Amino acid sequence: MEKPLATLRSATGVPTGRLAVWWLLASEVVIFGGLLGAYLMFRLGHPEWANAAAVTNTWIGATNTFVLLTSSFTAVLAHQAAEKGDGVKAANYLFMTIGGALLFLIIKSFEWYYEISHGYTITANGFWSFYYTAAGIHAAHVIAGAIIMGFIAVAARKGKELQRVELVGIYWHFVDVVWIFLFPLLYIAK
Amino acid sequence: MSEHTEHPTTATGQDAHDGEHHTNYFKIYVTLLVLLVISILGPEIGILWVTLVTAFGIAFVKAYLVIQNFMHLRPEKVIVKWMLASSLLLMGIYFFGVAPDVMKHEGRNWVNMAAMAVVERGIPLDGEHAEEDEHADDGESPGEGEEAAVVAETPFNAAQAYGTVCASCHGAAGGGDGPAGASTTPPPADFTSADFWAATNDERMFQVIKNGGASQGLSPMMAGWGVLYDDDDIRQIIEHLKTFRP
Repeated sequence: MEKPLATLRSATGVPTGRLAVWWLLASEVVIFGGLLGAYLMFRLGHPEWANAAAVTNTWIGATNTFVLLTSSFTAVLAHQAAEKGDGVKAANYLFMTIGGALLFLIIKSFEWYYEISHGYTITANGFWSFYYTAAGIHAAHVIAGAIIMGFIAVAARKGKELQRVELVGIYWHFVDVVWIFLFPLLYIAK
Repeated sequence: MSEHTEHPTTATGQDAHDGEHHTNYFKIYVTLLVLLVISILGPEIGILWVTLVTAFGIAFVKAYLVIQNFMHLRPEKVIVKWMLASSLLLMGIYFFGVAPDVMKHEGRNWVNMAAMAVVERGIPLDGEHAEEDEHADDGESPGEGEEAAVVAETPFNAAQAYGTVCASCHGAAGGGDGPAGASTTPPPADFTSADFWAATNDERMFQVIKNGGASQGLSPMMAGWGVLYDDDDIRQIIEHLKTFRP
């Protein structure tokens, strides 16, 4: 099947798909940057939020940081395998990355269940509004990434569209980077 | 497979930017984990600058390692870096444009009373909250419970309230010479002046503090603080003001 011209052309010297992912991430920088920037300025203006932040469990946050860092590692190994043309191996690493995404979401679910059931809901105060909004939008990115990786892994197993393994990887590492900043902001700064 | 004709240099359609096939991903991964451990242990020491460096400084280092080594930004074409830099620049403009108004609760000619009231009311610590859990389970809003707990446990401190709310205009020593009051017309009341005390009385001061200067034909620059303080608090503040009396 012939592909559209836009897929094949690369005026910038960057493959079109990868350029598209970078554009996506450039817009994501503003989405998450705006959210975290707003959180930061409120946090600095409201010293009393430290008491709300004291409730968040550093060890759960740290465990999820570990899970995401590990999933980034398997994502880059998938990319490495795809570069060598080994679609099956790339798919396996992608499935491990999806496993990481699921583990992250399961841990997050238990964490939120505990917090919400103890009255720390999104309406409790400004800190919890930001906590659930920032981590919620991040979790939505984790879910989206896992679904996309599923499609790409299935194709990669058949040796198809291996360049997409790198593309979803770049996205996944970005999701990891966002969490790297969320972790100290929401969990460590007490 | 037409996609393979897209960039014939490698099997996956990558161009030559992936020259770093020798990046030791495992080494990067282990480095990231070591940094994670440091970022958790650092703040445990409890020194502010150690916390800032280990928690936030290391976050930047971790992000840098992931971006350069996993996302392969380093060898990427310069247009991509400019795209991302533009986004970061816009972020910076947004942050520094808005932050002063949000982070500060009073300026030369304005006071954000709602924000001050929230800071003053505070948020109870976890232990205090736990006592409220039973009520929370009964369907009572945790916010109300928290507030009640704070009111009961934190006695009002007039000197502290003066320092937080009044001193910026009226001066730390009550001389009407606070930095935020420097440019107001008329100038803020000088509590160390005998003339001030000759012209006022407790009831008038009470009204001014509660409902603002305009309520007594004085400067509207003096805001009403009835939202933040109840009547007893205001009477205590007036007693505190009398300590400045000459």
